[in-house]
Amino acid sequence: MTVPELSVRDVTLRFGGLYALDDVSLTVEPGSLHALIGPNGAGKSSCFNVISGLYRANEGTVTFGDHDLTRTRPHRLARMGIGRSFQNAALSPHSTVLDNVMLGRFALTHGGFLSCGLRLPWTRREERKHAERAAEICDFLGIGAELHAPVGSLPYGAVKRVDLARALAVEPSLLLLDEPAAGTNAAETAELASTIHDIRDELGISILLVEHDMGLVMGIADRVTVLDFGRVIADGPPADVQADPEVVRAYLGSENAEAG
Amino acid sequence: MSEIATKSPPEAPERAPSPKPRRDALWWVRKALWLVVLLVALALPLYLEAEWLKAGQYMMVGAVGAIGLTLLTGQAGQLSLAHAFFLLAGATAYTVLSGPTGDPELLGFGLDPLLALLGAVAISAVLGLAFAPVAGRLRGIYLGVASLSLVFLGLYFGQAAENLTGGTSTGRPPAEFSLFGFPFSNEGDLEILGVPIRETERVWYLFLALTVIAFLLARGAVGGRVGRAWRAVRDNEPAAAVMGVSVWRAKAGAFAVSSAYAGLAGVMTVLWFDLLKPDESEFGTYGINVSIAYLAMIIIGGLGSVPGALVGALLVNGLPQVLALYSTELGWSTGTGEHAFTPILISSFVYGAAIILVVLFEPGGLAAIGRRIAGRLSGKQRERNGS
Ligand SMILES: Nc1ncnc2c1ncn2[C@@H]1O[C@H](COP(=O)(O)OP(=O)(O)OP(=O)(O)O)[C@@H](O)[C@H]1O
Ligand SMILES: [Mg+2]
Repeated sequence: MTVPELSVRDVTLRFGGLYALDDVSLTVEPGSLHALIGPNGAGKSSCFNVISGLYRANEGTVTFGDHDLTRTRPHRLARMGIGRSFQNAALSPHSTVLDNVMLGRFALTHGGFLSCGLRLPWTRREERKHAERAAEICDFLGIGAELHAPVGSLPYGAVKRVDLARALAVEPSLLLLDEPAAGTNAAETAELASTIHDIRDELGISILLVEHDMGLVMGIADRVTVLDFGRVIADGPPADVQADPEVVRAYLGSENAEAG
Repeated sequence: MSEIATKSPPEAPERAPSPKPRRDALWWVRKALWLVVLLVALALPLYLEAEWLKAGQYMMVGAVGAIGLTLLTGQAGQLSLAHAFFLLAGATAYTVLSGPTGDPELLGFGLDPLLALLGAVAISAVLGLAFAPVAGRLRGIYLGVASLSLVFLGLYFGQAAENLTGGTSTGRPPAEFSLFGFPFSNEGDLEILGVPIRETERVWYLFLALTVIAFLLARGAVGGRVGRAWRAVRDNEPAAAVMGVSVWRAKAGAFAVSSAYAGLAGVMTVLWFDLLKPDESEFGTYGINVSIAYLAMIIIGGLGSVPGALVGALLVNGLPQVLALYSTELGWSTGTGEHAFTPILISSFVYGAAIILVVLFEPGGLAAIGRRIAGRLSGKQRERNGS
């Protein structure tokens, strides 16, 4: 599998007078684990939403290999090999884990009302094959025992893993993860960090990771982009970024504000 | 870190958990129950009087329509009050397609009744699709109100297009149904176990077959890729889109499917009345009251549940029929005066109360109650794993 490069070029996104993104550029090299960090409201999720076509950028372009994502409707992205998880998980709480993860296989499967309704042999075979794969992914993420449980009945840490499993089920070459560790405890966060690292290593895909937790990110990322008030204030290897005075200021400022 | 790394990911796990639902005792009990229901439904014409069979047929009309609406409103999350309009569309399409040719007043294409039925279903689906651009832009109560306008359109159309519908005063009889030459009438001698199988019995079996087909198709769709896309759109449109679902197409598809079901229920309605008669006011066979009755069925049954819709339809469409039968038996007045307590009025009160009870105490409807009973039966272990 050749993994294309994701390139965000001079993207500006305005909500009325508010600049959610202000001339943002970043490049996710094929096969790299790229972190996008920044304080609350910095524009990280907005950046994801522009990449996934849910928000239209006012200016700038996003390209994925030869595809211009700024001109692509969101449902086309899965077919290009882009998987995404959501900050708020965005799952169907009454459906089972398997059913939610199987949604990630939507673009890889076929069949409309009649072929599903008639349970045609090829539809059932396809469904079974993909369900097995979905179960494998869940097993890998440690939620294999909960396949038939409704998502709404699971603890939050498991819910976030279901969301991650669904994004992986797309068989992405680029994985966009929006705060996969949000709301999970320290031990779970560390385990998740290593899982994400493993996914990148074993599948050889690119990962763009939004995280609040600097510690988590610095340990596993190849490259870090820091956003603050919609602007890129630093971009480079973790060690350089960590030492950057402006990053320290942005983070210390927000941490103080949070503490206070 | 190493433990997770050695657990080989995506490629080849040694012992992946089974994605198949367990075939435990409860699963078999459920299958057996459905079989019993089917056998009883097959046997009833041998025991029941014609008027009770008629009542049962009307429940099946409701079941087909309600299954369609629960797919749209329960599964795909789109409130529709237009169901009665699509009933009228199917009813009219069947009557026109199968109607005799050469009548100067009434348009007819003289098609084989089976073809006319399929054509009516297809036309209803296309009409549903035509409404999809509106459905794609509105949601919730706004969509409900917008869809209600179709019922008024239907009212106008039914009265104005007399060469199709026959007009409000006389209406127009539909062609009697026949399947590959077998008539669903009193023609020919047919007996099962000494019981003559005449029009009422034959139509019962026709409706039963249509209901079973409608039910199985819906169950298959809900359990498969299509239903998954509908639920995703209902619960979170951005997430659905990112996973590859075209939100617009999923919504339009749900509208088309639901309209097709309503169209079929419309065909069954004219076959049941043996007459296509457009309404004189917004209340009637294809009026607002019918749209609301269908909503009542799916709310009582539990939004999105196909078996729930079936049971809800039996209650909501069955009650007035059964009350009417008892009222003659008990010598009630079935008067039509302004203040008469008609069976329809009484059952409206009953299902109105049922909706309030459901919304207050069990928003999941009968389906949720059924799930809870199943959970009790199979013990705590299953409850933990969900069903
Ligand atoms: N749909 C929207 N309409 C209006 N304003 C928005 C919208 N989405 C985001 N914003 C604003 O854009 C800014 C950036 O928000 P965004 O959600 O991208 O931040 P974030 O970096 O993901 O923050 P967090 O860490 O809290 O998730 C915020 O000021 C937010 O209020
Ligand atoms: Mg965010």
